[in-house]
Amino acid sequence: MKRPRLPVTLFTLLILGLVLALAFLYLKTVIGQTADYARSRDLIGHIKQLNAQWETEVLKSRIALTHDYDPLVLPVQQINRLWSRFDQLSQQPHNDPEAWQASHQAFLAAFQEKADLVERFKSHNSVLRNSLAFLPTAEDDIQSRLAGLDDAQRLSQQNIAIDTYDLLLSSLEFAQVSSEDKAADILVGLNKLAVNKERLPEAMHEPVEILSNHVSVILREQPVVNQLLEKITSIPVAQRLDEINALLNRDQLQADLQDQKSHQYLLLFSTLLVLLILYLVIHLVRSYGVIRRVNTALQSANEHLEQRVEERTHELKEAQSELLHAARQAGMAEIATNVLHNVGNVLNSVNISSELLSRTLRSSKAQGLGKAMQLINQHPGDLGQFLTEDDKGKLLPGYLNQLVEAIASEQQGMSEELAQLGRSVDHIKEIVATQQSYAGASRLIEPLQVNELIDDALRMNSGALVRHQVRVVKDYAEVPAVLGDKHRMLLILINLISNAKYAMSNLDEQSRTLTIRARVLEGRTLRIQVQDQGEGIAAENLERIFAHGFTTRKEGHGFGLHSCALAAMEMDGQLSVHSDGPGLGATFTLDIPLIDPENPTWTH
Amino acid sequence: MNGAAHPSRPARRHLGATLWLLLGIALPAFPAPLDEPLKPLPAAPDLDPKRVELGRRLFNEPRLSKDGSRSCASCHRFDHGGADAQAKSQGINGQLTLVNTPSVFNAALNFRQFWDARADTLEAQIEQVVQSPIEMGNTWPELLRTLGDDPGYRQSFAELYPDALTAANVKDALASYERTLLSSGSRFDQYLQGNTEILSLDEKYGYQRFKDYGCIACHQGVNIGGNMLQKFGVMGDYFAARGNPTQADLGRFLITGDEQDRNVFKVPSLRNVAITAPYFHDGSAQTLEQAVEVMFKYQLGRTPSPEDTGLIVKFLKTLTGQWQDKPL
Repeated sequence: MKRPRLPVTLFTLLILGLVLALAFLYLKTVIGQTADYARSRDLIGHIKQLNAQWETEVLKSRIALTHDYDPLVLPVQQINRLWSRFDQLSQQPHNDPEAWQASHQAFLAAFQEKADLVERFKSHNSVLRNSLAFLPTAEDDIQSRLAGLDDAQRLSQQNIAIDTYDLLLSSLEFAQVSSEDKAADILVGLNKLAVNKERLPEAMHEPVEILSNHVSVILREQPVVNQLLEKITSIPVAQRLDEINALLNRDQLQADLQDQKSHQYLLLFSTLLVLLILYLVIHLVRSYGVIRRVNTALQSANEHLEQRVEERTHELKEAQSELLHAARQAGMAEIATNVLHNVGNVLNSVNISSELLSRTLRSSKAQGLGKAMQLINQHPGDLGQFLTEDDKGKLLPGYLNQLVEAIASEQQGMSEELAQLGRSVDHIKEIVATQQSYAGASRLIEPLQVNELIDDALRMNSGALVRHQVRVVKDYAEVPAVLGDKHRMLLILINLISNAKYAMSNLDEQSRTLTIRARVLEGRTLRIQVQDQGEGIAAENLERIFAHGFTTRKEGHGFGLHSCALAAMEMDGQLSVHSDGPGLGATFTLDIPLIDPENPTWTH
Repeated sequence: MNGAAHPSRPARRHLGATLWLLLGIALPAFPAPLDEPLKPLPAAPDLDPKRVELGRRLFNEPRLSKDGSRSCASCHRFDHGGADAQAKSQGINGQLTLVNTPSVFNAALNFRQFWDARADTLEAQIEQVVQSPIEMGNTWPELLRTLGDDPGYRQSFAELYPDALTAANVKDALASYERTLLSSGSRFDQYLQGNTEILSLDEKYGYQRFKDYGCIACHQGVNIGGNMLQKFGVMGDYFAARGNPTQADLGRFLITGDEQDRNVFKVPSLRNVAITAPYFHDGSAQTLEQAVEVMFKYQLGRTPSPEDTGLIVKFLKTLTGQWQDKPL
């Protein structure tokens, strides 16, 4: 039992551990960041695309392909939205948090810088665009006004018109190629315009100033816009995004490796688990086989056992019958002993009767008759005289009368004694018959008067009872005549009475009381109890008291009670004993079925 | 969010066209949208109407301010084009704001919020206004307690937001409402959508002047402005001419500290401009004519004829949109 428990616990733990490891690995692969990587990369790709689009829009604004800045605003807002989503996705731990953090910061810085530059670009570009767009109009305005002058003035202003036109041209050229030379040209033109302005009438001053202001704006703003564009395109937003991508790739590579490792572990653990389960299955199958084998063995052992039990039963039966036989033999011996014992008891009575008879005969008054006859014979002739005159003769008739009476009473006593003797002889006959009944196991069932039976038993023991001065208390209830085996009943009763008498032999003479009860229980059972006040029975002996050969008496042979119990059993009855302990007396109870002689229902 | 709502529309139109073709009847002449630097307003975004309604209640809720005196609607009045008629608006405790109140209409389309463009989102703008000591002077814990004491708000927030009443959710509700505040249907938008008949000749000329004079350089896009920064006084020193320079005149410089940002402001949207006087961050121009003149002088460096100014003003008046199908 102890041996298989350890491996079972070990296996359970092992399987549990494997399952947990598998669950952990499985969860790790399932919650893996693969999906997040894909989405992160998507987002970064999208941001990169928007960044490129943003730059394109800036260039389109620069060359006045578009006239509104909404396309420059939308990418920023979209990038911000995408970035916040990306940021949320990036909350999970990374392999290289510092590099990750740095790349994030680098992107945000670059993006912020670029956004600021784009804002500046928008401001400056709009001013520049406005002035550039206005320039031809302003020039036209001046030229038309110049044309409005009178011919004399117009001739002198010819140069002014040419200078203004040159300025316009160089400004427009500058817008295309912002070189130092062109800038110098414009400055020269502006100076010329300022000088020319003084030569023009007052009314012409305002348009010239406006033109020169706008040219100045162009001169100022064009390089700014160009610079801003250069800076915008040089800001490495795309590179930063690439770096983040690279980090993502690295993370994913690492994750993939880990994933691969996890998968390998998963495979390994699964294999182990499968092997373990396989082993357990084999084990189970084997245990099943063992169980089956043991079962078969058990079954065959069972059958064998049954056979053996049968054999043993048979042997037992034989032994029992042998025992029965032996018991019968022993019983017969015992009964023989018993019979002799009982016969002895009865012979005692016979002896007493015969002694009594012989004593009576010896001292019989009949001898007086002889003496009287002698007197009569001495007076054959004078018998009448003798009887009437002689002193002695005169007394003779009276004496004879007395003698007749005495002889009559003597005869009476002797005939009674002879009857007693006859009964004793009868009893001896019965005892012998009992012995015969045992020998032949024959039962003589006859109607019995229970109370008379008990009296007979007492009478048969009367000598001993009187000798031991035992007071007998008869407590008989109304007991109907029953059908029963008289000899067995007598055997049991004589034995019980004799036992009681012996049990009380150590008591002082006043308290030797034997109580005999006869009762009918529930109309079915006859109960006869023999109670003494004797030495009692120790509890440990109560069970053995009916056993063959058990006795507490020195000269006892242990057959009496055993034979009684057997006899009770043979009458379908039961003999039991009760004692409150040593010194407290004992009660023997004989229960036999009450069989009505009128209507015997013989169940045996 | 808009993207999701739109795709069905072209599909439906496509289906309609197919149907017409199948029936063999000539397609009715749909007016083609004009390709202009100005764009019509988009349709209102498809937002949770319950959150929008909650935002509307909050927008009109004076308890947003510390002393319970000022709601968003106190300055952003719908009867004044989403702004108020004051140069500077009244905050709590009789204080005046530092700059003029811009219209709340179409504010969602501005690339950033506030005159100095310091807030990137509507939510950030709400955050600042609620906590501004001049405007609402409130704190979030206090405001959340106030709103939490109101069973109506408590229930609405619990219903509409998983995490119920939080500062972020208050801002979200308000911003959701503000995103629906688009004054669509202006006559000019209808013109842009192809209904060229709707503008008078003068108004069309006004639009022409608007483009020719270069106003369009800054006031462009869907919001006719509101998508870029510009220096106030490109062609001249406006503040010297106006006098009384204030801290607020520094504009974005106050935010960035960059000398280039001195006097730089967000270019305001010109939508509903006719009904949102006075003008500029300082509310110094009382009429459109004045504003146009200032712009010409300091931004464009031009001198328009009075006739052209009038035409441009006429054009600007076509930018007034509708709210709930009624002209603002």
